[in-house]
Amino acid sequence: MALGFSMILGVSRSLNLAHGDLVVLGGYVGYSLWAAAGLSPVLLLPVAALALAPAALVWDWLLKRTPEPKELSSLVLTFGLSLLLQTVMRAIWRGEYRLIAESSLGASLQLGTLALNRGRVLAAVAALAVVGLLWLALTRTRWGQAVRATSIDPQAAALVGINVDGARRSTFLLALGLSGATGVLFATLHYVHPAAGVELTLMAIVLSIWAGVGHLRSVLAAGLLLGMIEALTVTGWGPGWREPVVALMLLGSLLARSGGLARGHAH
Amino acid sequence: MSAPLLLTVRDVHAGYDDLTVLRGLSLEVRAGEFVALVGPNGAGKSTLLKALAGLLPVTSGEINLDGERIDGLPPYAIAARGLTLIPEGRRLFGPLSVRENLELGAFLPKAHARREETLRTILRLFPILQDKHSAPARLLSGGEQQMLALARGLMARPRLLCLDDPFLGLARSVTDRFCQAVHAITSEGITILAAGQHVRRLLRLATRAYLLEAGQVALTGPGPALLEDPRLSQTLLELGTGAWQRPA
Repeated sequence: MALGFSMILGVSRSLNLAHGDLVVLGGYVGYSLWAAAGLSPVLLLPVAALALAPAALVWDWLLKRTPEPKELSSLVLTFGLSLLLQTVMRAIWRGEYRLIAESSLGASLQLGTLALNRGRVLAAVAALAVVGLLWLALTRTRWGQAVRATSIDPQAAALVGINVDGARRSTFLLALGLSGATGVLFATLHYVHPAAGVELTLMAIVLSIWAGVGHLRSVLAAGLLLGMIEALTVTGWGPGWREPVVALMLLGSLLARSGGLARGHAH
Repeated sequence: MSAPLLLTVRDVHAGYDDLTVLRGLSLEVRAGEFVALVGPNGAGKSTLLKALAGLLPVTSGEINLDGERIDGLPPYAIAARGLTLIPEGRRLFGPLSVRENLELGAFLPKAHARREETLRTILRLFPILQDKHSAPARLLSGGEQQMLALARGLMARPRLLCLDDPFLGLARSVTDRFCQAVHAITSEGITILAAGQHVRRLLRLATRAYLLEAGQVALTGPGPALLEDPRLSQTLLELGTGAWQRPA
């Protein structure tokens, strides 16, 4: 999720405050399809990702038209979009807590002496796979080359023949697609409710600052590291320690790298 | 002057939001020429190059590249038709390596297909880029960055290469090497349109030149002849830019 947030920041210099709400929307869409049609969560992932494509096009269209300075005006725009999304979700799903309580995911997976929750294993595997694929796409493909060049200097990118608008649009589609899929994973592990997105957005912002804004490689590394520490904490000390440890780590790293946001912009 | 016309600019008006800089500018470039654009600050040299590359909208008039109208096209589409601009201030991809910058120069499919061959030619012209191929572009010296900007432009295998102030802030020795490289490039069939403050250096290189003044062409002729023309020094001196007196 933080990856998508950071990629959007990179290519459009926009802070998407509605990012967490889009994740929650993905979760609700997944929940509805699961409850109504009984689709398996693995199938729900791509469906929820596709369901957010129209939102991606709207976000791209709106953020392209926000005036300079982008970083500030996008805050105002996406804060409004965030409130709008929360209200719409409250109207549709009535603010109730929803969980994709797929029984097959609740079962534990026995690995030698380790008992793992299947849902968490699925989420971790999916996250790792996405990180790996995205890393390959960004470093090995023409598309990745175009996106990286666009986030460094859109004008220079246009001059070497890159369709900057296209690179930006595809980044929004991918980033919000990831949000939709993340939402489904989230809904299998936690209850979703219309206001749950705020916390997720904060998490994405903090992770991006931690990694340095716009540095895709660092975000990948930071997300991976955070995920691993999170997982080790849960298996070592129990789930109760997850939030405090993550919060402490983020606070500590922010203090240690207080120039993160500014340094990221300076490249 | 029997070579075919590569670029024709007819009665072009262009500029920024509230400021029209080009006021009915017309010029042409034939295949294989090295054409220099000189003139005082604000005459419209950079504005013209940006308008050619599609970075600024053309409000009226027409730009044709090899018979095809290109004004109004987005920058990437103009680049795909063989016009490459090396902008003022170089605009390298600073965090990326020299190698990655060169690869991005050959982003277009046509250039991409021949990138190994182009790269060999370029590294022969600029061996320094071979030595530093894995260094981030922003860590190169000013002269090396200028070399890289030129090399990145060449990676696109352009038909028309537009240079905006290629000598800005360069030492004399670097300029000389740069000029050698430019000569080697023109002999390989690339047409060049170069704007700049360093009037003497540019005019000695150019086969033909245009003197721009207030968004229009004031004078045109072969480079060395223009250098002798009293109207050139008059225009540059009158406007007090100092560009003329500066030792070249």
